Amino acid sequence: MRYLRALITRFAELFRKPRRERELVAEMESHLQMHIDDNLRSGMTPQEARRQALLRLGGIEQTKEIYRDRKSLPIIESLLRDLRYGLRVLRKNPGFTTVAVLTLAIGIGANTAIFSVLESQLWRPLPFPDSERLVDAHVVLRENLRQWGVLSSSVYKTWRERSHSFTNLGAYDYPANRNLTAGGTSERVQVMPVTSSLWDTLEVPLETGRGFLPEEETPGRDRVAILTDALWQTRFASDNSVIGKPIVLDGQPYIVVGVASPGLHFEYIDEPAIFVPLAMEPSEQALRNTYVIARLAPGVSPEQARAELAGILETIPKSGGGQAESTASVTNLRETWTGFAARSLFFFAGAVLLVLLIACVNNAGLLLARGLGRQREFTLRAALGAGRGTLIRQSLVESLILSLAGGAAGTLLGLWGAAAFAAFIPQDTLPRNSHIALDARVLLFALAVSIFSALLTGVVPALLSSRVDLNNALRQGASALSSGRSQNRTRSSLVIIEVALALVLLFGAGLFLRSFVRLEQAPRGFDAPGALSFRVSLRGESYAQPEQQHRYFRSLTDQLGTLPGVQAVTVGTGIPLDGHTLSASLNVAGRPPRRKHGTGVLTYAVAPNFFGFLHMHLLAGRAFAPQDSGTSPRVAIISRNTAHTLFGSEDPLGKVLEFVPDERRGVPAEAPSQIVGVSENAQVFGANEVPFDVIYFPFSQHPSSAADIVISSNLPRGALLGAIRETAYALDKDQPVFDVHTMDDLISSSLGGARFDLLLVACLAIVGLTLVSVGIFGTVAYFVQQRTREFGIRLVLGATPAGILRHALKRSFVMGFVGLLSGVVVSLALGRVLRGVLYLVPGEHTGMLYGVKIYDPLSMSFACILLFAVLTLASYIPAVRAARVEPTVALRYE
Amino acid sequence: MGDKAAEKRDVWQGTLALMVLKTLQAMGPLHGYGIARRIEQTSGDLLAVNYGTLYPALLKLEQEGYISSEWGFSDNNRKAKYYKLTRAGRKQLNKEEREWEQTTAILARFLAPGEERS
Repeated sequence: MRYLRALITRFAELFRKPRRERELVAEMESHLQMHIDDNLRSGMTPQEARRQALLRLGGIEQTKEIYRDRKSLPIIESLLRDLRYGLRVLRKNPGFTTVAVLTLAIGIGANTAIFSVLESQLWRPLPFPDSERLVDAHVVLRENLRQWGVLSSSVYKTWRERSHSFTNLGAYDYPANRNLTAGGTSERVQVMPVTSSLWDTLEVPLETGRGFLPEEETPGRDRVAILTDALWQTRFASDNSVIGKPIVLDGQPYIVVGVASPGLHFEYIDEPAIFVPLAMEPSEQALRNTYVIARLAPGVSPEQARAELAGILETIPKSGGGQAESTASVTNLRETWTGFAARSLFFFAGAVLLVLLIACVNNAGLLLARGLGRQREFTLRAALGAGRGTLIRQSLVESLILSLAGGAAGTLLGLWGAAAFAAFIPQDTLPRNSHIALDARVLLFALAVSIFSALLTGVVPALLSSRVDLNNALRQGASALSSGRSQNRTRSSLVIIEVALALVLLFGAGLFLRSFVRLEQAPRGFDAPGALSFRVSLRGESYAQPEQQHRYFRSLTDQLGTLPGVQAVTVGTGIPLDGHTLSASLNVAGRPPRRKHGTGVLTYAVAPNFFGFLHMHLLAGRAFAPQDSGTSPRVAIISRNTAHTLFGSEDPLGKVLEFVPDERRGVPAEAPSQIVGVSENAQVFGANEVPFDVIYFPFSQHPSSAADIVISSNLPRGALLGAIRETAYALDKDQPVFDVHTMDDLISSSLGGARFDLLLVACLAIVGLTLVSVGIFGTVAYFVQQRTREFGIRLVLGATPAGILRHALKRSFVMGFVGLLSGVVVSLALGRVLRGVLYLVPGEHTGMLYGVKIYDPLSMSFACILLFAVLTLASYIPAVRAARVEPTVALRYE
Repeated sequence: MGDKAAEKRDVWQGTLALMVLKTLQAMGPLHGYGIARRIEQTSGDLLAVNYGTLYPALLKLEQEGYISSEWGFSDNNRKAKYYKLTRAGRKQLNKEEREWEQTTAILARFLAPGEERS
């Protein structure tokens, strides 16, 4: 305590020195005078009195010095002195300072950018009070714990009734687009079904009004709604009287009962505009997934909670939604929904760290060269009594100044970089819509990285250049102060490290480039250049029956087909790459089931001309025909992958598939279908995917309320779109047309993730390569300049300029060769470690590389050749300068 | 300033601080010269206090809040800086006195020849 108080006082003294010093002088003066007075009183002569007094009291200057040390903090004072000196030195070398600060700014900026992305996307707590106690409770398959099963609402209810691990549990379903009609206009808004307990679980109370009542969570009584604050403000002008009034969603009236808090944001799902009760229909209990958020009770670990829920799950009978093949899982809410992005973000972080390392090595080289240039200064200071520690401290302070300046510039650069990252990254690649912004954590990180880089760049040069041999230095004079062997070795090592790091980056960029090309050329399984697609999702009671749905889509396609300029129209419940699929569980008739609950497949219901229109190749059998109608025998076409899964090398044609009435997926029993054809695999979700098992049915036999319509025409896009809208709204004005895109858009956006990865890695590689070439150029130039005199002597003694050139180049070739070799070794080792991260794992969508081997020789040679070319160019320019030197000039060179 | 010299001074400063505090307790507010003279007299002129030790010690005590200072005038009308004990200083003095007594008592037992045998 006392010590701290003294420390603070001393620290404060730093800023008001002179007064104290004057006071001390005055105090000692009065002390001296009083002593003299006393001596006079005891009878001494004035001279003697003064002499005795001075003798007793000791040296005044020494006292002042001890007093000064005690008065404030001498370490900080000398640091401040170093700081002022360092700033002066750096200002005098604007070229060096600019290059060094810029280099670090790039390195630190890139790291700050990626850190702020990581922070906002992965680490920042979700915007709920004490959100790290929130968990996601779900069910997973016993055979693969990473695979989620379907959690029925009745299981949720049982968990909520019986568990004791949580202070509360709430459930929700994903927001869906619905038509909001209020005050005469209508718009599509996100509507999210939730249980009333969700507000209590999240601990985000309503702004006004009431929550949902338990009885409102049953179908038929669920026509109540809670508005988000944003919708309340924009659409209802924050008017309290809206509560108790009706709004219309998809043609059905809902009574507004409350308004959510303005602070309510989910971040990890599309922000909803309206909440409605999650209606749990007993008969529908097992059909759809329920998402459950729970708040752990104090002192309960996720594992304890999981064990409890798993125990409860086992006691639920199958009729009540229990599932023998599933078990419970309880995971941190934030990690559950952001974890999928962690892998690629960490990969980028690694690449960016490489750039920082290159920047640091580069700057270490620069500092080392400058340290040699300042040998005379260091010698002088050592001769005047500066210890080695003082010299090292001075050098470190200078690199700290550089790093902090670089860090400040880098933070600005990083903000811009993070914004660019967020702008360029394809939608849905980032897990959260949280703000990427400069906050305390980012600033702290930038500061830490700056200090880390200061040490990384500063320590070696400081140690080397402070090693002053006074004897030699003073005897030989400045010109003989060429760098010692250890300095040359250090500089060579720095170049080698740089080359190796750059090779890793370039090799990575090569891999991503090759992977992207492969991905672009990968067989997509369909082709429809120029075609336009849009989606219609039928709402309302007039489309409750399958026949009504079928009739609508047939009328729409027929009418579109007669439009002038339209060449062909087709319809399907989904199209390749747009991700709209249905699913079913099937068994082959007359065979024991492969799995207990049948084989899960993705399904499409498509028009007869679907395969021809999209150029989806049929490998066997026939396409659907207009004769395959609702009343004719059921037929199906399976994809090549499905044929392999179900039949191996057997001929699948003529076999009959039986639907498993799958409660989990909501598929009731249907008539068996006979296989009439086999089609080539087509991409379902994206370019980089392991082929799925897909089955197609005729749309006439399996109509659906939602479908994609694809049109090819020679009309311009705008005109076509206008014609489509006109036709669709003439048919039924209440059914909006949405999700409009061309097939080329779909293909392009399916490559978006890979394109972004490539862009980012390529940018980093280019930055790295630039830094390395600057570094090598600087090193060779310095090395040549240092030996100008030696080259002069060689020339005089008969060496040819070509010989000098060879000599100067040889060294960089050796360094380059060693660097490339170490780079290759490091790349291969890294590849082995990262192999599992970089490739697609079946069942996941996070693979980054496609179709290239991790030790792809082409990328490796490309990286080596490019780097070697840059190395040669960077050393050639200074080497030629060395060879052209005039011997007379060189000999006089100092 | 070698490390060893600093160490020696610190030991000395420890006891000097106690002497300064005690002096101020006995004499009331006093200037640096008075403190030095008083310590020399009390020690029977065995100790010589010079600027180099006294003023840093006073500064340290002041920084730690045990004493406070203000400018005033001496008996012969000379301008001088007067030091006086603060409340914290009195407490500290009591504490240090007790500690010192204990230490000397313990040391005395070791040094007194007859006592251990009895």
